[in-house]
Amino acid sequence: MRKALAALAAVLLACSGLSACARAGSQTADGDIYRLGSDQAIDSMNPFVSVVTTAFAVYEQIYPTLVQLDPEGRFVAEFASTWTTSEDGRTWTFRTHPGATWSDGKPLTAADAAWTLNTIAAFKDGPTAGLANYVSDLDEASTPDPNTLVLRYSRPVANVLNRLMSVPILPEHVWREYAGGDGEALTTFPNNAPVVSGGPFVLVRHVPKQVALFKRNPAYYGPKPHIAGFGIQFFSSDDAMITALKSRQLDAVRTVPSTSVANLESAGFEVISSPGLRFESITVNANPKQRPEHRELADPLLRQAFDHTINRAQIVETSLLGHGRPGASIIPPGTANWADRSLQPTPFDLGAANRLLDQAGYRRGPDGTRIANGHPMDYPVILPEDTYGGAGLRSFQIIRSDFAKIGVRLTAKLLDNAAANEAVMANESQDFAMTMWGWSGGTGDPDDTLNYLTCQSWGILNDTGYCSEEWDDLYARQGAAMTPAERHGIVDEMQRLAARERVLLVIAYPDSIEAHSREWVDLPQVGGNSFSSESKIPLLSVRRAG
Amino acid sequence: MRVLEYVLRRGIFSLVTIFLAITGNFFLFRVLPGDAVSNLAKVPHSTPELQHALMVRFGLDKSKWDQYLIYLKNLLHGDLGVSFTYQESVSHLLLDDLENTVVLAGVGTLGAIFIGILSGVMSAWRRSSPLDHLNTGVATLVYSFPAQWLGLVLLILFAGVLPAGGMSDQFLFDSPPFWQHAADVGGHLVLPAATMILTAYGGYTLVVRSSVLETLGEDYVLTARAKGIPARRVVWRHAVRNALLPIVTMVALDLGYVVGGAVLVEVIFSWPGLGMATFTAIGQRDYPMIQGAFLILTVSVILLNFVADLVCFRLDRRVSA
Repeated sequence: MRKALAALAAVLLACSGLSACARAGSQTADGDIYRLGSDQAIDSMNPFVSVVTTAFAVYEQIYPTLVQLDPEGRFVAEFASTWTTSEDGRTWTFRTHPGATWSDGKPLTAADAAWTLNTIAAFKDGPTAGLANYVSDLDEASTPDPNTLVLRYSRPVANVLNRLMSVPILPEHVWREYAGGDGEALTTFPNNAPVVSGGPFVLVRHVPKQVALFKRNPAYYGPKPHIAGFGIQFFSSDDAMITALKSRQLDAVRTVPSTSVANLESAGFEVISSPGLRFESITVNANPKQRPEHRELADPLLRQAFDHTINRAQIVETSLLGHGRPGASIIPPGTANWADRSLQPTPFDLGAANRLLDQAGYRRGPDGTRIANGHPMDYPVILPEDTYGGAGLRSFQIIRSDFAKIGVRLTAKLLDNAAANEAVMANESQDFAMTMWGWSGGTGDPDDTLNYLTCQSWGILNDTGYCSEEWDDLYARQGAAMTPAERHGIVDEMQRLAARERVLLVIAYPDSIEAHSREWVDLPQVGGNSFSSESKIPLLSVRRAG
Repeated sequence: MRVLEYVLRRGIFSLVTIFLAITGNFFLFRVLPGDAVSNLAKVPHSTPELQHALMVRFGLDKSKWDQYLIYLKNLLHGDLGVSFTYQESVSHLLLDDLENTVVLAGVGTLGAIFIGILSGVMSAWRRSSPLDHLNTGVATLVYSFPAQWLGLVLLILFAGVLPAGGMSDQFLFDSPPFWQHAADVGGHLVLPAATMILTAYGGYTLVVRSSVLETLGEDYVLTARAKGIPARRVVWRHAVRNALLPIVTMVALDLGYVVGGAVLVEVIFSWPGLGMATFTAIGQRDYPMIQGAFLILTVSVILLNFVADLVCFRLDRRVSA
């Protein structure tokens, strides 16, 4: 009723022009409120249900994590102040912050961390499967005392810190009652505001698809944020979000399309372009069992020719408007220091591509299109909405035009993400020919990206149809390599293998672009984000200028 | 008796249509390629166990027929199910969305009807004058604009003057007083409602103009003028009143599409209504949300058409099934 009355009154007031009086500022009696715009809404406040990045960035602000990333991409203390590893690499011991409390005054100890990890492990094949990755090979989490957490793994695990960085430590006293039986209740607990918080902020209000508001948590064990709180408004259209920033209804926008950069800069906003965590690629179906109509795609010479046909420099210049860099490795440059700098983008060389195709025996037909195995080389390229919704369609047009010059016809097949998933995975990835998609990796560790190409990921994330013992063996070795130098060596070897096999023809790395008002300072980026799901540091340090 | 029979017949027809629509909605999205599980399971190190757990959680491991029967049974109990994405009750999630859409679509449609009638009558009364040409020209032009294009133009034109997205100022930590809240919603309503009004009023203008023109030539209108009744009264009391039937029919039929018609406008202006919820749910293959949203859309279209039928029947008894 109140809404209906408000609506009626709203119409009258809108007509009378009074609405302008209602515009709120970004200040409260407690201090400044930082206002963010996001094009991705929180799907759930329950970490066992949620899958979107925004939700995990929110958990980062309201829940402790054992470690976090600093702006240089290093793991630094958060709830754990120090950590050690046993000689065999199977036992990790963390010293946690003493005397910490949750926002409801209950003690926050290492036991909460142990409970969270053990609970995820206990139900990893069911209710907590979405977080199971973070506890794989974990035998047990125990607490010899309230400020010590001991994790025992069944084998040496190289990226323990990276995994733990992403696990929100939940208050056992709130969640324990849902972890009984088959644990299914863990997925139905909505965890609505006010959420019991252990991080620097407390969620005070969440209206799904509209807004999430946070206030400073006085009980937080870490440094006090400079801001009194922050809010995130969710938008379903980039245009409205950018307009809201320009109209000063927002202080910052998380994801700025490259087409808006010049506009925002000229309007006086600070636009930050950072090396991205995403790469765009043409995926050529490398599945040896694929359909006869395009079985030639398994030919390495053909994929090499295709690689030479991608004009990466033009794509960066035209599609990304300069906000990105040509692609070479499957590890994007934003992934700490894991990208193999020795790998260079394949040169754009139509002459070389034509020679390779001639050499492989694909002659041109009467209309100029090459013939392979008796049929014209004419391939549908699946473009999921992730790709065609942004600069991807421009990139595809450049690629299609160049492919025509080597006698290969490409046709765009636009699908939404769900339909694209289905099309690529159908019939064990035997049916599709090519896709153009984007992949995102982790900020501090390459493990996720490398995992995409394993045989184990077939039918789930491995959309290339690629599966090799060599890759899987290297993947297992890097996962158990306990010295950074050894692991870097293996990861570099894997990047070179991926480049050599050319199953993912990496096109470009779009920059991660944020914009914010110059009224705010001290807002470092972690993995290209100031609103990070891997670090509390940016929102702890941001403050109003002056 | 004839009235009762007519109402009953239309009522039964509406119920059957709703049942068919419910069945159609259920199967339509299940035959689309892609499902919620593959979407949700697309996380690093995802496992077949996760996919299976999600299938079981959502009841997708059962046959489509079983799922359909369960859906119907739940529906009879007023239970629209639990959203795959949000893991919350669909009816709870959609209720707020529906209210928000009714606010936007209501203002948009009523505004369009009001302006459409006013400008249509003016055009008819000043037939062939520069005002008529200007009026019909603008109405025809604006009527042909796609809503999303016009919305973006308004967004750009009024950037900084009017709020660009959402339904109210989202960053108010404390609930503002009623009038302040109302003013805030009003400010946010201006651009999306204007988009709806501008893209819809032209149709009303043209229909009203032509309908009123017809009546203006009727004997009783000429008689009224000959009697010296003031022009304004002749138009509103005699001409417009008798031109109402096609206008009411159009308004009633349009009302049925009000809720669904707001989809694009809601997406552009991030208006948290049913349209935005449907748009998101389809992308996520969130079947319960899609079914719930489409059920509301279907029922509102059928219900309002039913009302339109009754109104037309009341206005003109020549109308029959």
